[in-house]
Amino acid sequence: MSSVIGGSPRATAPHATMIVRPSRLERIYGLGGVFGKTLRDSRGATIVVAGIAVVILVAAGAGIKAAYPTVLSRQELVQLAASTPAIFDGLVGRPVNVGTLGGFVAWKYGVVFPLLAGLWSILALSSTLASEVSRGSMEFVAAAPYRKRRIALQKLAGHITAMAIAMTIVAAGAWFAGKAFGDLPTDAIPLQAAVGYAVWLGLTSLLAGSIAWALAPFLGRGAAAGLAGAIMFGSYIVNGYQSAVPVFAAPAALSWFDWTAGHDPLAGLYDWASLIPVALLAVVLFAIGAGAFARRDLGAQSVVRLPGLPSALAGIREPTGRSFGQLLPSATGWGIGMGLFGLLISASSRSFADEIAKAPDILRMIKSVLPNFDVTSPGGFLTLVFMAYALVLAGFAAATFISGWAGEETSGRLETVLSTPASRGCWAVRSGIGVILAILLMTVMAAIGIAIGSVSAGGGDIATPIVGTFVLALYASAMAGIGFAVGGVFGVGRAATVVSAIVILTLLVDFIAPPLRLPDWIHQLALSAHMGQPMVGIWDWAGVAACLVLAIGGLALGAWGYGRRDIGR
Amino acid sequence: MTAVIQTDRLTKAYGSHRGIVEIDLDVREGEVFGFLGPNGAGKTTTIRILLDLIRPTSGRATVFGIRTDGDPVAIHRRVGYLPGEFSLYDRLTGGQNLQYFANLRGGVDRAFQAQLIARFDLDASRRFREYSKGNKQKVGLIVALQHRPELLILDEPTSGLDPLVQQTFLEVMREAVADGRTVFLSSHVLSEAEKTCDRVAIIRDGRLVRIDRVDALRDLAAHEVELRFTGPVPVEPFTALAGVSRVSAEDHVLRMHVTGSIDPVVKAAAAYSLTDFISREPSLEETFLAEYGREVVPEAGRE
Repeated sequence: MSSVIGGSPRATAPHATMIVRPSRLERIYGLGGVFGKTLRDSRGATIVVAGIAVVILVAAGAGIKAAYPTVLSRQELVQLAASTPAIFDGLVGRPVNVGTLGGFVAWKYGVVFPLLAGLWSILALSSTLASEVSRGSMEFVAAAPYRKRRIALQKLAGHITAMAIAMTIVAAGAWFAGKAFGDLPTDAIPLQAAVGYAVWLGLTSLLAGSIAWALAPFLGRGAAAGLAGAIMFGSYIVNGYQSAVPVFAAPAALSWFDWTAGHDPLAGLYDWASLIPVALLAVVLFAIGAGAFARRDLGAQSVVRLPGLPSALAGIREPTGRSFGQLLPSATGWGIGMGLFGLLISASSRSFADEIAKAPDILRMIKSVLPNFDVTSPGGFLTLVFMAYALVLAGFAAATFISGWAGEETSGRLETVLSTPASRGCWAVRSGIGVILAILLMTVMAAIGIAIGSVSAGGGDIATPIVGTFVLALYASAMAGIGFAVGGVFGVGRAATVVSAIVILTLLVDFIAPPLRLPDWIHQLALSAHMGQPMVGIWDWAGVAACLVLAIGGLALGAWGYGRRDIGR
Repeated sequence: MTAVIQTDRLTKAYGSHRGIVEIDLDVREGEVFGFLGPNGAGKTTTIRILLDLIRPTSGRATVFGIRTDGDPVAIHRRVGYLPGEFSLYDRLTGGQNLQYFANLRGGVDRAFQAQLIARFDLDASRRFREYSKGNKQKVGLIVALQHRPELLILDEPTSGLDPLVQQTFLEVMREAVADGRTVFLSSHVLSEAEKTCDRVAIIRDGRLVRIDRVDALRDLAAHEVELRFTGPVPVEPFTALAGVSRVSAEDHVLRMHVTGSIDPVVKAAAAYSLTDFISREPSLEETFLAEYGREVVPEAGRE
């Protein structure tokens, strides 16, 4: 049959091809394009971040309603906050209109939200392109009819949209907390304040993420995330502690928390103009990151070529050393972070002691709650300021180590390892010991930071807080033990997620149990409630035993589980 | 010959998903045994059971007479394994990866390891993540070979290798077999199995459909025979012959398919004046496609 050109329907569709465009359902499901897929991949994190923030906001609202129900009690709260030494600005927030529900929430819990959302943004934006490159799917995406810049921008837009959704939920949560628990006329959180707070939180978090985004094409995702995290945390610390530690005043001028200090909408303060430089800087960094991804070779992640580890450190003799060697970079990163945090806090103990000497009421109040030790000693100050956060950080560190340990199986390496004469149980125990060694390394680095800080502060007893630091190793080992057990018995796919969830639940219990006046047994469920005050030499031996049981028992249970189940990929 | 691998009604089910169903295998010492089948047929599942990486739902498997779920470590001591898809330690160099797996086995002959590195032309000083797919495959092959195992279990061993390296691999494998070692090789590349294997098993949809020698399998398919006559083409004498089908004539050429022995055709052709006689032996690939490729294999086809 001869073909007819022109005029015939077959001329326009010679092969009767029918292109099926992505359906609306597919687009909603996240399979319509790069943007949708990124948004889909962000849904879990969006729910977690927004969920934690809303739970804390609501719990704090309920707490102030229960604890300070009258005008008189609010005045007492204001006086208490006003007499708090400036050093506490870093630990909590700046006390602005703390007599209102919004001001109280911003003061008491202001620390958590920007660090939490900022960490999410950093992790997401450092890895959104790099993880696709490393798993090879980016080759397919880049081979589709999209320019690389467009891929990068769609990825970015996906994360920004996820952040916007999370912040919308946060704004709704803040507004609801004011509506539901605001007994006094000043307690209502107007929509403008809720939105203003969410905009600030979203922008500062995105700025932290934009640093990671801009650095990732040059340094690789791990280094970019680590550096951006350090900058965010440092930015927060120098701003929070600048009034107590004079040397921080100069670098604080570079902190976006300092730039936006006048914008505290929950407390009734607005400085919209201060958000402009934050937004502009984020846009510039986004452009740098997108441009770098577009210009550089696909897969070229790092311009800094670090030398490989020597064999002695790489751990190529047996599974314990290999597991430790594999975790060495992340253990070192966590150790540096914890060490710097400990150094900063212990070095500030002298300033704290001087400050608190001027506030006898506060000292009396603290002594009534913590009668067993001198809070002006390095160990006392570390107990007050360092421990709660350090335990959370140690828990998250354990989750990342478990994730690395699990990677042995999920990557397929374990299949080759177990084809050697290494038995499953033996491998599980020995590689688990490698994880514990990584935790110990991190703890030793934290202890070194505390030792240097304590010495520089000229404090008295330095040995006790150094020994006390090892409670972090116990706590992290317990969390790792849970990960071993879950990974060994049920499969490693969710082990790190379970550990992270327990750390987050513990954090939430710590945060919401006191303001909600929940029964004490609920608070006692949190392992962190049984860690004692080891920085001043007070150990909770039941907690120590619980940690050891969880660590050793978890490892044994994991080894037993490994012996019974199929090895996955 | 002693059986190195034996499976008895080996079955693995993944919930409602099919894994393998009642696989009976018998791999003998010193042979190269090909395990063939299309993607998803169950080759890797079988191999992973042999190494006790997964456990059978029913049935049993032994390697060197040892139950796979009894003392897998004793089996692993004597086995070299290359997974079909694998990953090693990205941050270590190729050499460090090789050393680690050598150490897990209590050490290897360094000279032999170095010889393998040289033969496969591997730059062992580069980090694993920097290797191309083919170079990663070389590292995996050396991991499997470097301790001179009695049994090599290789899942798609030539995947990603260029033809020259494939040649090197085949040489190394032949040397291993000459040394009395056994090779269990899974592949979906039939030409590879055809070149290397003594016997092959064909698995499809989780069921074993045939085990036989390579040449016997090849006989399954029809030879393509072409006779070129000097005079008119005699069709009738050939169509009547046993095993002859698809007879066609064109000018002075007679073409036919012959199943089984070709002897009757040769004898019939001897009665005529011919200018040419061409008989093309089918490849294993053609056999496989003809026999199992496009239709459901009947139960009777099983051995």
